[in-house]
Amino acid sequence: MRVIANRDLCQGHARCEDLCHEVFATDAIEGKVVIVQADVPTALEDKARLAVRNCPEGALRVGRSGKGDDA
Amino acid sequence: MTLHFQPSSPDHVPAELMIDFDMFHIPDGVNDPVEIWHDLVRRGVPKIFYTPRNGGHWVFLNYDDIVEGYRNHAIFSTYQTPVPPIEPFPVVQPQGVDPPAHNVFRRLLAPMFTPIAVRGMVGELERRAATLIDGFAAQGQCDFITDFAERYPTGTFLYLFGLPEDRLDEFLALANTFFRSTDPAARAQNITEIYALLDTLFRQKEREPGNDIASAIVNARDDAGNQHPWEDILNCGFLLFVAGLDTVTNTLAYVWRYLATTPAAQQHFRERLDDPDAFLRAIEELMRINAVSNLFRRVTHDCEYKGVAMRRNDRVVLPNTVANRDPRVFRDPQVIDLDREVNVHLTFGVGPHRCIGSLLAKREVMVSLQQWLRRIPAFELADDQPAGSVFGGSVMGFTALRLRWDV
Repeated sequence: MRVIANRDLCQGHARCEDLCHEVFATDAIEGKVVIVQADVPTALEDKARLAVRNCPEGALRVGRSGKGDDA
Repeated sequence: MTLHFQPSSPDHVPAELMIDFDMFHIPDGVNDPVEIWHDLVRRGVPKIFYTPRNGGHWVFLNYDDIVEGYRNHAIFSTYQTPVPPIEPFPVVQPQGVDPPAHNVFRRLLAPMFTPIAVRGMVGELERRAATLIDGFAAQGQCDFITDFAERYPTGTFLYLFGLPEDRLDEFLALANTFFRSTDPAARAQNITEIYALLDTLFRQKEREPGNDIASAIVNARDDAGNQHPWEDILNCGFLLFVAGLDTVTNTLAYVWRYLATTPAAQQHFRERLDDPDAFLRAIEELMRINAVSNLFRRVTHDCEYKGVAMRRNDRVVLPNTVANRDPRVFRDPQVIDLDREVNVHLTFGVGPHRCIGSLLAKREVMVSLQQWLRRIPAFELADDQPAGSVFGGSVMGFTALRLRWDV
């Protein structure tokens, strides 16, 4: 599983970082999402998926690993 | 300044969308101000309606429309929005400015409110909460509003602005007049005093900068290397003063009122003091269910929104509490589920004006509760609650909340 962030939509709620800091962090300037590891280890998939579903801006998406699905 | 309280029934509003609703009026016998909003939903009024009260304004009741109100600044502006209308009104920075111009001050403030920045404040927030609670823990009772919920965010403001603690009572008095006075002359005088104080403060921070937000604002430079316009600096200070006090005070009040009447919820938090993920998940649910703010927008041009004719300068009110209990978005929305996993509440808004202090505000609530539970045993509402201690408006809440516990 892969996670994709749209930093134009991100407004820095940081819910993703709260829910799954292993995959999502935030920068020190704007407080927007930074993906720590785009290819999510199997053990973290549920946590990462929950973080994606809790983004109030719909700025996060789940894709398939290795598909280059960054558009 | 002129206040326009007259009822307004403009001719572009069809009769079936006209509902008589006064967001500032809490009827006798209603002891929870958010209920006036949920009563509208129960009555089945149109999801977009217009009330002639308070100068006249639209109300959105669907989650999706409230999101649109926040995001679509081409139609729904934050420029000079007060309900009832007050003109002229300060153009507060960056909240009262539409994108992209609002980015100037948004960018300036953003680094001071990121998760990284807020994590750096936790020790000080804990110390301040602990000190306040230690002041009354042994008494077995307190008025939660005056003893804690007002003092804590005001003290946090002093800390952020690099001001000494002995000025707390002065700032509390200014804030109380600003938020509670209904006398137009007293309010005008109060705003003048707040601006005079900010002017003195920023001048001082210009000469002797410290490691605080006021210094960062006044000493920032624009792209051309110049200081930002003095008026904008003052309006930014004003926004930070008014935005982070009443909202946090009443969120705390709502949360403690709920906990005082729900022993199982107190227990839930006590059992999770050492489980930060579960503790935070429960805090998010309390944020959802206790959304105290109703936000204002102003229509930018004559247009149709979802088939409804709107006129330039129409006001729109976005009640977060209604969005947060929309059954199309939240499963069992009226149930307080402290383990709720998907919780896209709108308590801090969304879009470019998302509450910049949301992470700090949430942290203030979390730290307060952690420090409280470590010092105070099971607590409940005292028997002697003063009558008429609720208020509505752009921020809803309580003027008194008496608590008691065994010592």
